[in-house]
Amino acid sequence: MQVYDPTGAVGPPASERAGSPAVLAGKRIGILDNTKPNAGLLLDRIAHRLAERTGAEVTVVEKKNAALAAPDQVLGRLIDEVDLVLTGSAD
Amino acid sequence: MTANAGAMIEIENDEPGAVLDAFAARGWGDGLPMVAPTEERVVAMLAGPGSPADADPDEVIAVLPPRSGQATRRMIAVNAVMAGCAPDHLPVLIAAVRALAAPEMNLRGVNATTHPVAPLLIVHGQAAVDGGYNAGLGAFGPGNRANATTGRALRLILLHLAGATPGPGDASTQGGPAKYSFCVAENLAESPWGSYARDAGVDAASAVTVHCGEAPHNVHDMESDDPAAVLDKVASAMTSWGQNNAPISQGEYFVALCPEHAALCADAGWSRDHVASYLFNKATVRVGDARTAFDLLAWSPWQQRLGDDDRMSMTEHPRNIKVFVTGGAGKHSSVIPSWGMTKSVTIPIEAGG
Repeated sequence: MQVYDPTGAVGPPASERAGSPAVLAGKRIGILDNTKPNAGLLLDRIAHRLAERTGAEVTVVEKKNAALAAPDQVLGRLIDEVDLVLTGSAD
Repeated sequence: MTANAGAMIEIENDEPGAVLDAFAARGWGDGLPMVAPTEERVVAMLAGPGSPADADPDEVIAVLPPRSGQATRRMIAVNAVMAGCAPDHLPVLIAAVRALAAPEMNLRGVNATTHPVAPLLIVHGQAAVDGGYNAGLGAFGPGNRANATTGRALRLILLHLAGATPGPGDASTQGGPAKYSFCVAENLAESPWGSYARDAGVDAASAVTVHCGEAPHNVHDMESDDPAAVLDKVASAMTSWGQNNAPISQGEYFVALCPEHAALCADAGWSRDHVASYLFNKATVRVGDARTAFDLLAWSPWQQRLGDDDRMSMTEHPRNIKVFVTGGAGKHSSVIPSWGMTKSVTIPIEAGG
């Protein structure tokens, strides 16, 4: 018998990820820190390891609230200041 | 905006076990048996009382994050059929979906968080009467079809359309029973202050409120004949460090007073606002203790200037304390804390959903 698929259609995605650079040397890496205590620890560690291994320049950009999307001001800084963004969610 | 009419799949038969197996194999459902959403049942759901004949079934009511699923009238009806709703519950459900999609609800965060948050749906006014919703004894359940299935349908919509699947779309550490179904009606007949929706600015015959919070915390007081004594116990339930309200000052509380506790307050001359103001002044903590308990405090600027020995309410403003009446005989009320970064929404149930 025929029944509906209950998941329906998906709207157009709000945005798409840009392609990754092949080489990180000389690139500016931004860490978008959601300000949760453990996320900051983990991202900071990753940032410094990446900087050591690749010669990339690392900038940490904080957003004030983990539960809300990054405001335009934070996204604007990332667009202006970095070539690649690392981020994480949850705790 | 309209969407396509939706895909059909082939399942073996209409037996509950077969439907459950077929859907579970695709990662669908809440784990409980479901009604098969056949074309005939979905058409009947869309043609119920309050649903106008000229409504476009593929009108997109909302696009729900994180999956960006298109909640059309038809897809809401499909999930309502699966949950066991009757057709006169559909307009309530459509209004609830509109409320969930309001920006201040922050549904992306609600679905993504590790917290056990679930949307509480409160049905107000004529729709609660017409749909057979329980506002009396045992209002939070179990035992009433309207409450149980409408709340369940809202969860199925979050699972199927919003993509709030435990794991990829819902990171809740322990999950929670309120995530199965969390729907109640306001006991307007026994509310000494009239309609909550009207006081929230919605003067309509029927309305819904959606509040993304925890499961209810019980407040029992059998003996007090003084509103302050009952409300001190409510304040006690509002003041535990484990709630997200503790570090997030914009968080709301829903205080569901039983008719007897509400009558005690009203008979002593207390308005709904008086109750909220009293709770604002009693549900307080020492500021220094909050600073010790949390590294991360989402407080208003004025709260950040308080000294460690000052006392501070668990929420930044009395208007964040929402008081409504539900339940039957007895002296048990409840407090429903917030997830935090969300605001409740009250909207009318429009003719035709």
